[in-house]
Amino acid sequence: MIKMKVLIQEAEFSHQPVGASSRLKSRILSQLIELEQAEGPLRELSASRTNGETLCVFERMVAAVPSKTLQSRNPCAVCHGRVLGERVEKAPIYWSGCPYAGFCGH
Amino acid sequence: MSPAGRVIHDADILLVQAILARDRKATARYVELHSDLVHGYVWRRLAPKTDSVDDIVQEIFLASWRSLKTYSGEAPLDAWILGIARFKVADYYRKILNSPLAAMELEEDSPMMAYGLDLDGGIDGLRDAERAAGILEDLAYEYALVLRWRYWEDQSARTMAVTSGRSEKAVERLLARAREKFRIRWMQGEEARQ
Repeated sequence: MIKMKVLIQEAEFSHQPVGASSRLKSRILSQLIELEQAEGPLRELSASRTNGETLCVFERMVAAVPSKTLQSRNPCAVCHGRVLGERVEKAPIYWSGCPYAGFCGH
Repeated sequence: MSPAGRVIHDADILLVQAILARDRKATARYVELHSDLVHGYVWRRLAPKTDSVDDIVQEIFLASWRSLKTYSGEAPLDAWILGIARFKVADYYRKILNSPLAAMELEEDSPMMAYGLDLDGGIDGLRDAERAAGILEDLAYEYALVLRWRYWEDQSARTMAVTSGRSEKAVERLLARAREKFRIRWMQGEEARQ
């Protein structure tokens, strides 16, 4: 005799987990960054790099500029990588260090 | 390990501190590290109606971001965010149970089985689990939903009643009918196999 409870509990893990799409991850990231910007200036890119984060080619260019204001902006806001990432599943973005490319597995 | 002997998840605390410092790159890592887990958790609880999964996952991340200041590191970050996911899924369940329950109301007077129904036969690991999952997906959505809420989240009928705004008696009746529907489907499958 087995309890129905056990059967139903076992059912929870019978399916392979369904991961989030790259588009969903991209949209979540963009929303979170918007919230962060609403709270105040973003952490400077040079500080992110010092903290061990990998920057994409565009971010490295911005990080080289000695302007706190510029470094605290969100370069992804004007990048086609973000636009593609939010709209196309597994978008063809191959910039190393780009979070949107990372979501696409590139 | 903290002086009090509690485990502190240092890597998670560092990540949270970086996000609180509005570090975009750390925020991206946060999404990358936890979105698959959260999505799988929500997807399982809403299947087969998965249209709302992405919206709920987004809500969970926004809510978690707003609460990050309260993260103490005593639990792993993935467990912490799943705690928020649990509330969001319960909120979804509440909305479903507060909507007109056509399938249930039609059967209001149908006979109900007692609690604690047992099924004959031994459990056959993954195959039975897959059958049970299939039955949950085929049942009327509200039935599957209350069974998952009761047994996956280990919520009492009283808690479900308080959360959903229904009476405890109504939730118990709903659970009894859901269990009975599940049992009938299971027994039909058994007969078909013999």
